[in-house]
Amino acid sequence: MVDWRLFEPLFNWARKKSLWIVSFCTGCGGIEMPPLMTSRYDIERFGIIPDPSPRQYDLFLITGYVTPKTLKRIIITYEMAPDPKWVLAHGSCPLNGGIYWDSYNAIKHLDKYIPVDVFIAGCMPRPEAVLDGIHKLMEMIENGEADGWKRYKENYEWYRKNQEELLGEGWREKEARKWIPWLMDKKKEVKE
Amino acid sequence: MTWEVGENLVKSILEKAPYAEGKVRRERRLEFKVPAERIREFLMIMKEHNFPLMLQITAVDWPKEGEIELVYHLMNIELGTHAMVKTRIPRDLDKAKMPTVRDLYPAAETYERDVHDFFGVYFEGNEKMEMPWILDDPEQGLYPHRKDFDMLGYVKKKYKILDRFDENKDRYVI
Repeated sequence: MVDWRLFEPLFNWARKKSLWIVSFCTGCGGIEMPPLMTSRYDIERFGIIPDPSPRQYDLFLITGYVTPKTLKRIIITYEMAPDPKWVLAHGSCPLNGGIYWDSYNAIKHLDKYIPVDVFIAGCMPRPEAVLDGIHKLMEMIENGEADGWKRYKENYEWYRKNQEELLGEGWREKEARKWIPWLMDKKKEVKE
Repeated sequence: MTWEVGENLVKSILEKAPYAEGKVRRERRLEFKVPAERIREFLMIMKEHNFPLMLQITAVDWPKEGEIELVYHLMNIELGTHAMVKTRIPRDLDKAKMPTVRDLYPAAETYERDVHDFFGVYFEGNEKMEMPWILDDPEQGLYPHRKDFDMLGYVKKKYKILDRFDENKDRYVI
């Protein structure tokens, strides 16, 4: 029996060198992604590649404001990922609402609903700032400070309570069932 | 300075539709005012006069007058001319009803659902009116883009934060 905790520093070193990202381009931050990934800022030199599937990513980028409707998708995408996973939130909107501070349809504190490891302030942060945030996250991963996924497990009751307060109880099932009547009717039309 | 092509266009449209008012606002902008119940006739005439493209249906809320103004934006591609067809309907929820123009301009389906979601105008004949659109369940039926929607109160209630919304503060610290 090997005590894998001994190897944890080695694993963390390896993890920080190969972050796969899913960027959830909710707001204006989606525009900052292409220069970040292409030759000008080229985050691939840090071992980061964009990843099409939520089942394999390590780093989850939330780029911009989050509405309750997208929050549902964010929570589902976050929970899909395997375990060492980190979240990086861009801009002031996930931080405290930003310019949508009095909007009925933008959530004010993202870290009430899912744990966020690094926030980047700014509206909108430049790609340099995002690089800086990723660099910070890498340091935190190596030190073991980036423990959002552990916090989510430990305080799951609290996160769950906040989510259900905002989105209503049983929102997962409701969301899945919402479109069924419309899909059924559509099918009938096709048959006839 | 007048724009002769536009003047002629407006003239020939108004000959067919004497119930409407119309004018040339400036070069390549036309403006029409139509009673709400004749909007379908009028848009048919507009289509005959080479306005094949619907850009948008927007709504403007006028709470003091108790009316909602609907603006149908049409485009004539050959002349590059943008026509705004304006119509007014009462603002009360049970009376805010319009005939749909979905069969004339298929693009109108989306815009009608949009106006229905945010302003509570019901378009009769558009069978997708009840289908979920942009707004999520909690906001449905509140019509948040109407002027009398209490935005700040709703935000306070929904997100449960909020010393920073204190109205007595001289300066907001966000």
